[in-house]
Amino acid sequence: MTDPLILVSSLHRHYQLGGETVRALDGVSFTISRGEFVAIVGQSGSGKSTLMNLLGCLDTPTSGVYRLNGSDVEGLGDDALADLRNREIGFVFQTFQLLPRATALQNVELPLVYRGVSRRERRVRAARALEAVGLANRAHHRPNELSGGQRQRVAVARALVGEPSLLLADEPTGNLDSATGEEIIRLFGELHARGHTILLVTHEPRLAARCPRAIRLSDGRVVADGPGAEVAALGAARAVHA
Amino acid sequence: MSRPRAVATRLDLGLTRLLGEGSEGLRIALGSLLGARLRSFLTTLGIVIGVMTVIAIVAIIQGLNLAFEEQIANLGAHTVYVSKYAWFIKGQGEWWEMRNRKDVGRRELEAVEREATLATAVSPQVNWRGTVTHADHELQGVRLTGTNQRYLETSGGTVAAGRFLSDTDVDLSRASIVLGFEVGQRLFPGYQPEAILGRKVRVEGHAFRVVGTMARRGKLLGMDLDTIVLLPHTTFAQALGGKRTITLAVSTTPEHLEELQDQLTGILRRVRRVPPDRKDDFALNRQEQFLKLYDQLTGALYAVAVGVGVITLVVGGIGIMNIMLVSVTERTREIGVRRALGARRRTILLQFLFESSLVAALGGAVGTALGLGVAQLVALLSPLAAAVTPQAVALGLSFSAAVGLAFGSWPAWRAARLDPVEALRYE
Repeated sequence: MTDPLILVSSLHRHYQLGGETVRALDGVSFTISRGEFVAIVGQSGSGKSTLMNLLGCLDTPTSGVYRLNGSDVEGLGDDALADLRNREIGFVFQTFQLLPRATALQNVELPLVYRGVSRRERRVRAARALEAVGLANRAHHRPNELSGGQRQRVAVARALVGEPSLLLADEPTGNLDSATGEEIIRLFGELHARGHTILLVTHEPRLAARCPRAIRLSDGRVVADGPGAEVAALGAARAVHA
Repeated sequence: MSRPRAVATRLDLGLTRLLGEGSEGLRIALGSLLGARLRSFLTTLGIVIGVMTVIAIVAIIQGLNLAFEEQIANLGAHTVYVSKYAWFIKGQGEWWEMRNRKDVGRRELEAVEREATLATAVSPQVNWRGTVTHADHELQGVRLTGTNQRYLETSGGTVAAGRFLSDTDVDLSRASIVLGFEVGQRLFPGYQPEAILGRKVRVEGHAFRVVGTMARRGKLLGMDLDTIVLLPHTTFAQALGGKRTITLAVSTTPEHLEELQDQLTGILRRVRRVPPDRKDDFALNRQEQFLKLYDQLTGALYAVAVGVGVITLVVGGIGIMNIMLVSVTERTREIGVRRALGARRRTILLQFLFESSLVAALGGAVGTALGLGVAQLVALLSPLAAAVTPQAVALGLSFSAAVGLAFGSWPAWRAARLDPVEALRYE
């Protein structure tokens, strides 16, 4: 258990755009240990979305090393990546990304369907995950019958149900009003306290400041990596000077 | 590049996963069908019409076949009809050639009766049309058939009352006659088959005594089998002239049919003195030839029906493909979410294939039901019969599901090939 959960080394991701090579990630290296709560911050275009896609095993790097929970991710085939996402990663998206025709419970069950968990066990585990985010009484509601905050909680329950090693949240408060966003951030704090490893991708320094650690990206490189408050302040100062 | 160990899932885990994905796929498919009922209905309409057409046409053709085969069976499946005319000719030249052949007559009959060891029954048949009268009742255009006591064995039919012609009737050229059902009914008001035995009728002016009456037989290829009288062929020759060509109906057992034909050919060539280098100057006709011709005709009909059906199904399939492409586009984000949560490409592919074949199979089921209904309606309102075989139904259903699979595969493939990152970002 001394291995870091995430090891990223000289990670590059280049795109060909109209004959020009765009270096979305240009040599990124860091490690994240189990149980950390880390914010990844940066302006739009800094490469944080690309980094999130790579860390989420939705995409593969052009070059470099990405080791997640002991598995080398670069060079894995499509099926292996899908299985890895299913086992190791819980996604929380800005736009919730719940299936509109499915109930909260069915939405939460979904990762377990792709893992081959029996129907009865799926039900039990999904109900337990909904309870953990305080939505036990909304299990049979469809997304359009839930408030934004409740939807995001369902999404968090879905991310947790498979007991992944990493919770990957992409601007989870971006579509919520500040009070509801605050609720979700508090929920992440609780989950962190319970031992979950959380990566929070955000452009808001205010959120990053509340994380124990933050990594700042700019132009595809890591420009700062330290306690959340310091990194956030650095960004704020820069923004002021610019 | 070794895959992680856990990827090599155990069989039961894989099975549970497959079941889970299968029921999930079914749930999604049903959900999207019910979610857009009008669209699903319109999508399947092409398939419905295609399958309906094929099923209805096939049912009607099969009904016709059955009716035809029943009729043809009247000719006797294992009977060879020896005649100077072939039943099927290729042109007028051939007809003239046959017309100029020697008649088939008493000599051929005797030779075949004597030498055709494979035959179980031989009956000569000489036909004419004439008028039959009783008292002041007259019936014109009756088929007059001169034959012998073996007629029932070679050519079918049953006696309703009295007896059939006997060998004594034939040997002594008696004026005995057996009346067909229609003749009895028309000549004897208040017809009772038993009551007219022994009565006198006149055939072309010659007096005959009724020894028997035939049970009703119906029609064969449009020919009325009940407007007939049967006389001894010897009496026929005396009363109506002996210079007519006759047909020999020769029956055998199913396994000897081919051999019998060879035997008959040998006997006839010898009796008719056909030189070895010349073709036969007679024809051996079999009911099978009717069936062959008929099969050719209905085969063409079948081909047309199937062609129309296939075209309609293809059009229906294109409709399904179109809707599935729309569906894939509409659900791009959903696909992205599923992929992010661990669905493999194959899973997405199967999900969409499931949906398209379900739509098509549903259309096929509705089309089959409608097709059967149409066939029954046609059978009810017209003289056409309709017969539905389970094979036709199975064919309709499996064909439409196959169309769903075939035309759903491209949209499904597109769905499976979507890049999860792009799909999640899709607005």
